[in-house]
Amino acid sequence: MTVVIDRRGFLDATGALVVSFALPAATARAQATGAPAGPGNLTAFIELRPDGHVVLWSPTVEMGQGTQTAHAMIIADEMGADPARISVEVPHPSDPFRRELPGSRAMGSGGSWGVRYWYEPLRKAAAQAREMLLAAASDRLGVPAGELVAEGGKVSHAASGRSLGFGELAAAAAAKPIPREAATRPDAQHKYVGKGIARLDTPAKVDGSARFAMDLKLPGMVYAYAVLSPVFKGDAEGFDATEARKIKGVVDVVKVPGGVAVAADNSWTAMKAAEAVKVAWKAMPIDDLDSAKLGTMMRDGLAAQQAAVAKAEGELNVAFANAAKYVVADYEVPYIAHTPMEAWNCTVRQSGDTWEIWAPVQNQDRILQAAARTLGVDAARIRLHSIMPGGGYGRRLGDDGIHAALVAAKALGRPVKLFWKREDEIGQGWYRPAQMARLRASLDAKGNMTGFWFRASGPSMQTEFAPAGVRNNMDGSSVQNMAECRYRWGATRIDYAMRHVPIPCAPWRAVGATQNAFFLECFIDEVAQAAGKDPLALRRELLAHDARALRVVNAAAERFGWDRPLAPGRAKGIAYFESFGALTAHVAEVSIEDRRPRVHRVVCAIDCGKVVMPDGARQQMEGGIVMGLSAAMGEKVSIARGRAVETNFDSYPLMRFDEAPRVEVVLLETPGVAMGGIGEPGLPPISAAVANALFHLTGKRIRKLPILDAMAT
Amino acid sequence: MKLEINGQVREVDVDPDMPLLWVLRDTLAMTGTKYGCGIAQCGACMVHVDGVATRACATPVGTLEGARITTIEGLGAQGQHPLQKAWIEAQVPQCGFCQSGQIMQAAALLQDKPKPSDADIDAAMAGNLCRCGTYQRIRDAIRRAAGA
Repeated sequence: MTVVIDRRGFLDATGALVVSFALPAATARAQATGAPAGPGNLTAFIELRPDGHVVLWSPTVEMGQGTQTAHAMIIADEMGADPARISVEVPHPSDPFRRELPGSRAMGSGGSWGVRYWYEPLRKAAAQAREMLLAAASDRLGVPAGELVAEGGKVSHAASGRSLGFGELAAAAAAKPIPREAATRPDAQHKYVGKGIARLDTPAKVDGSARFAMDLKLPGMVYAYAVLSPVFKGDAEGFDATEARKIKGVVDVVKVPGGVAVAADNSWTAMKAAEAVKVAWKAMPIDDLDSAKLGTMMRDGLAAQQAAVAKAEGELNVAFANAAKYVVADYEVPYIAHTPMEAWNCTVRQSGDTWEIWAPVQNQDRILQAAARTLGVDAARIRLHSIMPGGGYGRRLGDDGIHAALVAAKALGRPVKLFWKREDEIGQGWYRPAQMARLRASLDAKGNMTGFWFRASGPSMQTEFAPAGVRNNMDGSSVQNMAECRYRWGATRIDYAMRHVPIPCAPWRAVGATQNAFFLECFIDEVAQAAGKDPLALRRELLAHDARALRVVNAAAERFGWDRPLAPGRAKGIAYFESFGALTAHVAEVSIEDRRPRVHRVVCAIDCGKVVMPDGARQQMEGGIVMGLSAAMGEKVSIARGRAVETNFDSYPLMRFDEAPRVEVVLLETPGVAMGGIGEPGLPPISAAVANALFHLTGKRIRKLPILDAMAT
Repeated sequence: MKLEINGQVREVDVDPDMPLLWVLRDTLAMTGTKYGCGIAQCGACMVHVDGVATRACATPVGTLEGARITTIEGLGAQGQHPLQKAWIEAQVPQCGFCQSGQIMQAAALLQDKPKPSDADIDAAMAGNLCRCGTYQRIRDAIRRAAGA
């Protein structure tokens, strides 16, 4: 039998020595019978308890992006529930929520899909639940369902003044068939969507009671810290743990994939004892790889004859041959790390022939499959508890951290929490890849663009993370959002020269858009300079045919006050980019203080189609801008002897409080278009907006990130 | 040894070299105080020792006998410290992992300077990292709690 530790059990487990097991009713029933409905279980997403409490089984994890609150708002509006009485849980990958989906989307949280993908399925589920409640109330009150209204957690009959709470109706409603179609409410009736409620996860995050995976403590659990190969993808050939085993509190030392794990009765002892383990590392083909060699490889790709073509339109040769002016520039970005504040950890327990895993994960399907392979058991024997990650940004999409925990638990024969130090979190890889790009443009005598060629060159993220998606040496992320760029610049070529570098890479928040927006939007400013045009004016020209994009650029410029003179010593820069279905423009104001660039103010305009949670959208813009700016200013992972050079915050500098700009956000909506994302589109344009502003201040182009390094040379 | 944590005396039998962070988290199951970097660079482990903001990851527990230790769990009864209320009003947290440390650092600031200037806030908060980038709302919440 598969067991599930419920929320209460988890709290007990973290706070005390008592662990209670319970199978949430809906899950248990679905597992037992495969039946969609039953007591309390209104749809695959919605469970209604007899006390009127609504449990939403939301397929996305809450890792800070606010989707679970957005989902609760959607449910509250369609179902007529009280948002204060909704709680959100994450289902197991095999739970029935996917039954009602169009297609078979993988269970994972990424791609800024959390709200835009789930909006309609959740609306429909909540509307179905509402119809079932109305049908049950109709029976009880003896009036037609058409005379009843579900609102505020109860069903009311206006004519007679009678009402029934959702809880009173739960059992009868669950016995009703799930209606195939249920009409959703018109937007005008929504009380929460488009307006907002306070985030459900906030109270527990201010008093220390929020439970992250790192906080879990199971009875009999040991803490394991693994010494992992400093060279990417390396492993131990042999080890001597004689001294480590002598340390008080050490339970055992075991070989795990990638290194050697020390299990102890507390984290500190495990880390301390790990220093005493002598490990012989296997020789690796990348033992001599360094940043200089990588640079040479990427530069070769800029001029390579062979490249995978994402778009080739018009006569580029003709445009370039007839150019009155020709602009060309090379750009470069380094490897960067995600660095969620919660370093990776994973707790594993075996009970008979079943396994349980508690971990901060974004990508349940992938983790479950990887765990099944490593354990050599059927995935049905594994229960994966998705615990709210303390930051994800793409780093929790991978399965790399899971294997050592599973192997350690198997070897030790007892529950294990295997954790990483910050040095492992940054040093083990899965980066946004380093990349170079060469951009070329031709201008006619009037300064209008007639041709544009974008060549990316460098390591491929997808080859490392999801090789099945790579076709004919094209990694879609390397040219992300370039082929469909709305600028009209004449003949176009977008291509990519893949360089093979076996350093693990993964989607990093906004993925390829982070570097491509930097390359493109810095280059557009160079074109403006060559054409003798204002940077905003050139972008308006390139977007003159597109009212939606033009409105975004204009909104940012107007809110900023583009035409107003700035204080002496200040300069401004603009950048625009479209990613994850949303159009974003940033204007940044900078100065140089104590020889360091300082960003004072950023105005951001975004059009994501429809805004479900306005304050959540503002949070994502504010935070995305800080994260994008942090990366642009100081972040880089250099490579030496096949390993990461910067592995903790003393050498890998995240943006700090006193360096962060004031961010103002303009939210725009466009009715009737596909809903866009919010979690990622705030990042891409910020690096170029700031680099462009610094050029206007100093006259020096920044073509290589991070900015602090570029300005020091 | 005996530790006074949030007004309660707790007896622990641990290596005096063990940083307070791991005693809190692993021995006493007080997990509101977080591990972030282990080298006093990020502030996720911030607690108060005799009222002073202190990084638990770099403080050997053996140095704390007789000291008054306050953690996020003991900052305000039922999470009702003015900063905790302000944090909710300003909707500060995103992932939330660093916020215990942020609040403890801000609480120490307001203890010393009930009406901090922006420069005071910058100086006090520069040691606490937030990867989600909630700095602007942290500033707003501190101002709010200070009645500014």
